[in-house]
Amino acid sequence: MEIKIFIEQFEESLDGLEAGSVTEATAFKELKEWDSLAILTLTDTIDLEYGVLLKKADIELCDTVRSLFELVQSKV
Amino acid sequence: MDISLSGSVTVVPPKVRSIEEDVDLFGGNIRQIERLKKTLGLNERRIASNELTNLDLCEQAAQVLLEQLNIQSSDLDGIIYVTQTPDHSQPSNAALLHGRLACSTECAALDIGLGCSGFVYALWLAYSIIANGSSQRVLVLAGDTLSRLVHPKDRATASLFGDAGSATMVEKRSEAGASWFRLGTDGRGADSLIVPAGGARLPFSEETAVETSDADGNIRTKENLFMDGSEVFNFSIEVVPREIEALLSDAGASKDAVDYFVLHQANRYMVHNIGKRLRVDLERCPVDSFGAFGNVSSASIPGALAYELADVLSGKCEGKSSHQVVLSGFGVGLSWGTCLLNIPHLGCLEWRAYKA
Repeated sequence: MEIKIFIEQFEESLDGLEAGSVTEATAFKELKEWDSLAILTLTDTIDLEYGVLLKKADIELCDTVRSLFELVQSKV
Repeated sequence: MDISLSGSVTVVPPKVRSIEEDVDLFGGNIRQIERLKKTLGLNERRIASNELTNLDLCEQAAQVLLEQLNIQSSDLDGIIYVTQTPDHSQPSNAALLHGRLACSTECAALDIGLGCSGFVYALWLAYSIIANGSSQRVLVLAGDTLSRLVHPKDRATASLFGDAGSATMVEKRSEAGASWFRLGTDGRGADSLIVPAGGARLPFSEETAVETSDADGNIRTKENLFMDGSEVFNFSIEVVPREIEALLSDAGASKDAVDYFVLHQANRYMVHNIGKRLRVDLERCPVDSFGAFGNVSSASIPGALAYELADVLSGKCEGKSSHQVVLSGFGVGLSWGTCLLNIPHLGCLEWRAYKA
């Protein structure tokens, strides 16, 4: 897993998010695009890309894109 | 097994509500509505008036079906009605419909208390009782009026669910091929899709009518339908593709041999995702009825058949004499049912709006 690719996938999975607008330090839950629909599309992307089906509660425990990346990495 | 569907009719309420009318629910955020349309496929849904119950919708569907197939109600020997929004807690909707249609007293009638998986469960039961010789011809009704159970200020459910009733005939047909069923349940997920109050565990009271707001700002009472969308989504993408693969393996059938995968019309995103996970052409996974009716619970599979496949399955537009169709329902329970049916041309497959 590469953080750079993960960030691109994160950006693509959230409708309305522009490419290059997110870094590994981004507090994603504070993004204006973050809502229940975003949780669904992000969960789906991560499952399709990495075969890891995250629960909403797991995602909400993460603060930054980096911490989300590490969570997925630990479950791959 | 020489058993098949012979026809199906879906009846929806005449009242249409569009997602644009929910602008206040989304705090005036037009962009959010556009996102929901684009991602989930939300568009229009059908809403029953206060006087119209699911029994009324299914009764009209049954009358049209009997007339189109030229079958007398006295020729039915089984009525299976899937609903979680019956007219009364007792007697069953099946018994009430039996009375309204003036069926024979030799006809068995029962309700099944299931939601989105229920149509497949009812078909399984209908096929089984015909196969074991108990019945010759079974009328399957399926539907709910969930719009009454959702709180209008709960964004997780209010714009999603619509109302519909369906009637489907199952009977012996010598030209029918083999059929395969797989059913399953995971009651540990019961709390993720539930109406907490109104049953014996928590009867209606002043307390159950109190509105509360959740972490996302959605408002509902314990008398409303609660859905944990994230849990239900995860359950669906985990279970449904696996079940369909297993069903095809049981049947020794390849995905290429299946003409259509008609999945419960939960929303467009869900249907397309299951299709993607199955690696099948999305044109074989109908989903347009969701944008016309909403998620209509156990009526969604017959609704999708009638909305998108009427000409094909009635033999009006291509040469095939029968079609291989996978049906898959999943939802409240949590519960799921998947079947592979060989369907010779249907004598009737249509949908229409209810007429008083």
